[in-house]
Amino acid sequence: MIKTSTGIAALALAASVTSAANAQLVTTKQLSLPMAVAIATTAVETCKSQGYNVSVHVIGNMGEVLVALRGDNTGPHTMENSMRKALASRGQRVPSGVFAENVAKTPNAGALRLGNMIPARGALPIKVGNDTIGAAGASGAPGGDKDEACVKSGIDKIAGDLK
Amino acid sequence: MSNMTCRAAGLTFAMTFASGLVVPANAQVLVHKDLSLAMATSIALTAIENCKQAGYNVSVHVVGRNGETLVGIRNPAAGPNTFENSLKKAYTSRTFRIASGKFAENVGQNPAAAQLMLANIVAARGALPIMIGQEAIGAVGISGAPGGDKDEVCAQAGIDKVAGDLK
Repeated sequence: MIKTSTGIAALALAASVTSAANAQLVTTKQLSLPMAVAIATTAVETCKSQGYNVSVHVIGNMGEVLVALRGDNTGPHTMENSMRKALASRGQRVPSGVFAENVAKTPNAGALRLGNMIPARGALPIKVGNDTIGAAGASGAPGGDKDEACVKSGIDKIAGDLK
Repeated sequence: MSNMTCRAAGLTFAMTFASGLVVPANAQVLVHKDLSLAMATSIALTAIENCKQAGYNVSVHVVGRNGETLVGIRNPAAGPNTFENSLKKAYTSRTFRIASGKFAENVGQNPAAAQLMLANIVAARGALPIMIGQEAIGAVGISGAPGGDKDEVCAQAGIDKVAGDLK
């Protein structure tokens, strides 16, 4: 009896999942390799021209690393930090600095318990319209605001292609 | 032997040992050359471009003297394994100071080779060490082409691009 009702429930669930009339594949846009490279190298160059060596990460829609660059003479943490800033920005769909502000008053914020998100300024989401398709993060400049400015110049470089 | 004697003997030994360490007249910091980010980026992009022209989408890693990632580039058109694989190939090549394909040959007849039990070592062709003379200062690894030999050709093209600066 129990087995039968469980079976019926499973059938009902399966039917509800598969019977959606307008079932279709999900279409998403993704950063291309040249775009990701352009963002990263531009960010490094911009910071370099201002006298700062930074490491940079550009990540994709699923948080996967697309480009990682270790800056000359940067501290060893800058690679991890730039990745984690980018991941926070992708995950929250906002600049990592805004995430930092948002959680500053709630030290027990759940998001801080997730792996790899770090509340530190220096990463920006990469968007097509309202959709976040990735993020770029920098670490190494003396201040997250300066990291962020370099990231912005990187994203601005390919802004025309984000459509 | 009393406690005191033991302690005295220990002290004498410790002092001798310590003076042995600090005494060399020519003690000095190590100076070495490392890849700049500009060179590492040039190697990586040239390798990707070279493979692209041959019709292959590849991911690439350039690692430095300590096996640390200097540049990592995932090719969205390549398989998800290629990012990790290119890193492991490069790390292997840097570690053993030889082409990762040569390492693969070396351990090919010996599946119990201890090196294979080290983290991040992979017996697969497609990475080359970046040398200054006899010194390996890094490596470049490629993954994604249909065959490690084809990966390796692109790695070579990347190194060739900056060969003039490797001095």
